[in-house]
Amino acid sequence: MPRIRIAAAAVAAAALFALTACGSNAGAANSAGDAFPKKGKSIELIVSFSSGGAVDTAARLVQPILEKELGTNVEVVNKPGAGGQIGYTQLTSAKPDGYTIGATGSPSVVVSPLDPARGAKYTRTSFQPLGRQVIDPAVIAVQPDSPYKTLKELLDAAKAKPKSMTASTTGLQTGEHFALAQIQEKTGAEFAPVHFSEGASQATTAFLGKHVDILVANVSDVTELSKQGKARVLGVMTTERAPSLPDVPTFKESGYDVEAGTVRGYSAPAGLPDAVAKKLEAALKKAIEDPTVVKKMEDLGLQTSYLSGADYAQFWAGQEEDFKKVLPLVQKKD
Amino acid sequence: MDTLNELIGGFAAAMTWQNLVFAFLGCLLGTIIGVLPGIGPVAGVALLIPLTMNLDATGAIIMLCAIFYGTAYGGTITSVLLNTPGEAASAITTIDGYAMTKIGKAGAALTIAAVGSFVGGTIATLGLVAAAKPLGEMGLMVGPPEFFALMVVGISLLVALAGKSMVKALISGALGLLISMVGIDPVAGAPRFTFGSDNLLDGVSFVAVIVGVFGLSEILSYRKDSAASIVHAPGLRSLLPNRTEWRRSAPSMARGTGIGFGLGLIPGMTGSVSSLLAYVAEKKFSKHRNELGHGAIEGVAGPETANNAHANAALIPLFTLGIPASPTIAVLMGAFLQQGLTPGPTLFTEHSEMAWAIIASLFIGNLLLLLLNVPLVGLWTSILRVPASILTAMILLFMVIGAYTINFNVFDVFVMIAFGLLGLALRHLDIPLAPMVLTLVLGPLMERSLRESLEISQGDFGIFLNRPISMVLIGVGVLIVLSPLLKLRKPKALNEDPET
Repeated sequence: MPRIRIAAAAVAAAALFALTACGSNAGAANSAGDAFPKKGKSIELIVSFSSGGAVDTAARLVQPILEKELGTNVEVVNKPGAGGQIGYTQLTSAKPDGYTIGATGSPSVVVSPLDPARGAKYTRTSFQPLGRQVIDPAVIAVQPDSPYKTLKELLDAAKAKPKSMTASTTGLQTGEHFALAQIQEKTGAEFAPVHFSEGASQATTAFLGKHVDILVANVSDVTELSKQGKARVLGVMTTERAPSLPDVPTFKESGYDVEAGTVRGYSAPAGLPDAVAKKLEAALKKAIEDPTVVKKMEDLGLQTSYLSGADYAQFWAGQEEDFKKVLPLVQKKD
Repeated sequence: MDTLNELIGGFAAAMTWQNLVFAFLGCLLGTIIGVLPGIGPVAGVALLIPLTMNLDATGAIIMLCAIFYGTAYGGTITSVLLNTPGEAASAITTIDGYAMTKIGKAGAALTIAAVGSFVGGTIATLGLVAAAKPLGEMGLMVGPPEFFALMVVGISLLVALAGKSMVKALISGALGLLISMVGIDPVAGAPRFTFGSDNLLDGVSFVAVIVGVFGLSEILSYRKDSAASIVHAPGLRSLLPNRTEWRRSAPSMARGTGIGFGLGLIPGMTGSVSSLLAYVAEKKFSKHRNELGHGAIEGVAGPETANNAHANAALIPLFTLGIPASPTIAVLMGAFLQQGLTPGPTLFTEHSEMAWAIIASLFIGNLLLLLLNVPLVGLWTSILRVPASILTAMILLFMVIGAYTINFNVFDVFVMIAFGLLGLALRHLDIPLAPMVLTLVLGPLMERSLRESLEISQGDFGIFLNRPISMVLIGVGVLIVLSPLLKLRKPKALNEDPET
């Protein structure tokens, strides 16, 4: 492998040289003499969902800035499947040396170890949170030609005929599944969940092809669809309206006390050396708060909401408590 | 006419000398990266994205698209010459590609692969220009039930891969399905057949299996015959395909383009499904199907055309719907986003000039790749001048490195060796290997779409027969299975063929 890396580096160097000759300055930032990260040793950023979803997009936006800050390659690697469990398992079983970090999204990362049936090999303490990036509220949307124009109409119809409409999730016990369960508990409206365990892009594709009736997703997934008129978003599951969907009422406005959403950040396997953790945290803070990244996240309908590693860890623990309470709702056999 | 004008405008924008240089550099770098074992298009493109960060958006995207083709073609080179696929989508090419190398036709195989890639890629790009929107919408019609039905058709083609014995083909196919079950259950999240090993949570790596089953087991079986059966390089002079080979490749390229283009439009379909089904289609429909497995040009032309047609067709859902249909496309999508472009229908309204310049560069990139690689065929094949004993050792080394670099995990090397031994055993038992590979690729996709479909229908299997597209596809699958019995095709199709 060293030989490959060297060969790849040589190729890259040659290309850099060639490009500079073309008049563009493609020089990479240098890290000082610090041991981490070693020059030429790339850092793997594990995304536990398939490419193209919101988690993946966010990771790919911070990646170039992380590279600049850390002075080495950061490679985004998708390990989709089992609602994130495959990627999380890989992240937590990696050596805590800083060369493997991952995008962690809740509820998936918080919930999967709570349910013994899933056989997850990690718990909350297997992760070392490095920083929170966004909070992405959940939304519910119907097909543009659907007869339901308001949230109330939709939920009343679902109440009248339980399970008559299919609704997408991105896998068992993911944010979308929790959102559906919360809706059911608070309003009595029951949908038939269809779990697209490979992630949001598969769920969205199935919705666009009208293979499922209802799209349960995050604000970021539907901003573009709503602009194009391909989905009619009926409600946002937060207390305040989403800036990118100003015309969509919140659940609260419509009279339902439902709050749900996805929270995303970055973590390493537990046990990082302090100096390495500090360096990664600082680089992530820079990347997450970078104005162009924030702007691009906004374009995608994502509100940046940075928390440091320690604060993110605390937030995570709080979420775990909350989810433990509603867990039975998403455990029953569908 | 509007489209034509805009395309011409796009060509004008793409043909600046800087952009041509970027396209050329991309093709070259991509090819080199592709030749390195284990690094396929996804890793290759991801690895080289930083190089493009400081370019202007058009130049960056043009270069990345070129890298993307380049890696795909580079993977073929090692498949043909060293029996080690550089990426999953050219894995099936090893069967006939390497067989051609053994009879001294490596040059012809590589040239046909380059031409096939060009044909497939260019036709798919023409599709993007002519009818992107309706084609994108068509891809959406394939929901989970239709996807499942397509997989049924794919698996039914197993009958075409049967050698002397249908029972043995079924054994091989069942083995593949069993292996594809290893790993975390995609719906419930429970680990299956992992025996407590974390390394198996992700399932076994497809490339490691292919390298083992086809590559390693073949080298292991040499010992029994004689050293003489290892690579000869008699035909180094014949770098170019002869007239018969050209003529025989044409229909295969046509079939490959059709298969790759159609499947590429479907979000969630991978390039390896396209190349595999293209190979199976050759096995079933080609005039020279009996020669497949022994170095038939069709076995290279079909799959290689299909995977490039697939790769280019997969850009259609990206441009029209903003959906990345495959992992590589998703990497490209990331690059678009970094450049401030949101792929999707708005791309053509908000950044129309750039969108057309990129499309024009797809044509240019395909052409450059052809111009770059045909002259290089001589260089690549000169590797075969290395004495057989050394070359075999080199191939073994390449296989180990290739398996290791898939995930930078030694476990994959053991997987490769284990499957090499399994492949050797199966060869001894005269059990064909190709059905196993077919079910191994299709199995996980089939399982996923089956379970999604049944969730949609809430457990009613009728969903596969109530929907016209899936009903027709299931019918086609049944017909294919029954075809040997009904003698719809000459039974000669299933004659002795130890290789596959």
